[in-house]
Amino acid sequence: MNWAEFTNIFKDCKLEGDKILIGSELLKTIDFVKTNYHFDMLKEIIASDNGDGTVELTYRLFSPEDEEDLLISINVKDEAESVSSIFESAVADEKEIYDLFGVKFIGNPELKRLYMPEDWKGHPLRKDYKENDERLNWNE
Amino acid sequence: MSKLKLNLGPQHPSTHGVLRLILELEGEKIISCEPDIGYLHRGMEKMAEKLSYIQYLPLVDRIDYLAGFFYSELLCRTVEKALGVELSKRVKAIRVMLLELNRIASHLLWIGAFLMDLGAVSPFFYAFRERELILKYFEKITGQRMMNNYFVFGGVRRDIFSLEDVENIINILPDKVKDYEALITENPIFVRRTKGKGVLDKETAFNFGITGVNLRASGVNLDFRVKDYLYEGIDFNPVVIDGADSWSRYKARVLEIKESINIIKQALKVLESEKELEQKLVNPLNLTLPEGEYIQEIEAPRGLASIYIKSTGEKSPYRLKWRTGSYYSVNLLRKILKGAYLNDAIAISGSLDIILPEVDK
Repeated sequence: MNWAEFTNIFKDCKLEGDKILIGSELLKTIDFVKTNYHFDMLKEIIASDNGDGTVELTYRLFSPEDEEDLLISINVKDEAESVSSIFESAVADEKEIYDLFGVKFIGNPELKRLYMPEDWKGHPLRKDYKENDERLNWNE
Repeated sequence: MSKLKLNLGPQHPSTHGVLRLILELEGEKIISCEPDIGYLHRGMEKMAEKLSYIQYLPLVDRIDYLAGFFYSELLCRTVEKALGVELSKRVKAIRVMLLELNRIASHLLWIGAFLMDLGAVSPFFYAFRERELILKYFEKITGQRMMNNYFVFGGVRRDIFSLEDVENIINILPDKVKDYEALITENPIFVRRTKGKGVLDKETAFNFGITGVNLRASGVNLDFRVKDYLYEGIDFNPVVIDGADSWSRYKARVLEIKESINIIKQALKVLESEKELEQKLVNPLNLTLPEGEYIQEIEAPRGLASIYIKSTGEKSPYRLKWRTGSYYSVNLLRKILKGAYLNDAIAISGSLDIILPEVDK
């Protein structure tokens, strides 16, 4: 990947270890690397709670041609752009992240509870999620 | 024509677990499919945040109980790579041999179960007969038939023995595979139910994140074993065939069994020359990973499996995430079943080799 060309277009980004941390324009960035560098597959989206109310989303892109990985990550609060218009596999990933982290993906057609029951309160993988509270007796 | 909503599952005999498909039908044609998962959710990722690494290790086999070795290997590999532990040649060969035996067992179960989905009962018994040999061997060396918990951080739990059993298995299998092929591959009923059904072209496969045999049956040469460090020095050709339909996916799995036998033969040669088990096991008490993020991948029977661990230097991971192949295959059903007929729905979803515990995690 041409790093100089990339930073020319997307100024709001920096390298952090082996991943590119971007500040905004998620959809545009992912679309750009897909069309220009043939990152045709999205292996997965990894979500991780930073503990300060933000969630880090890491997009693990893969180029089947060069067998190369590219990590693009972004810190979001409760909302993020959905990349399901670019990668269909993101529909599934984003559903999982919505269920476990409560991040709403704008533009995802199937955003609803996945593992947890429909009436479950809270999102279990958030660091501020409370266990052992009275809600766990929801079944009685 | 009026539309009909039909629930397929969750307790359907051919969904290998509990998968519910909400189908919208127009006559017999499926016009939309919505998979509903989560019936087997055990909170594997949440549990990891509470347990230490060695406490978590026995659990990971249960992510995919048909291919438990692969998930053990992933967790062990992450710890080994993070701590800089090198594996000796014998340990690597033991792991490769067990992984490939596991892959064969998984594919055999798939052949049996897939044909059963299509209404053919006898291949199920043949496939299980051979799978039993492999499970017996696993039981002999690990004490467990399925969830083996045999790999540990830095090596294996104890040295391997009874290699003549493995030799016996790989001597018997090629003939048996020939039998399956004689019974199934050109069977006119089987061919008419699978040829040209559930076509998955290359672009759609990439778009939906499909990996593994399903992708290689669509003519893409992508096997993560090629760059895998365990498979260094092992000579094998990934099975790639064109066709992209259910029949090709069946054929690719049969060919992959043969390729796995080839890999096991090479691993056995290494085991013969490296008789001494040398391993530096990591002390699991007070085991912590240095701060940072770790990603490891492996080619599991159902596609790319990977693990992500974020460590803050504590006893348990800050965040652990699994990527499993079946999760994306289930998502693909939304697309691949659209426009198919109801009687093909099971044949198509069966051909993708979906295992639900792996989907629900």
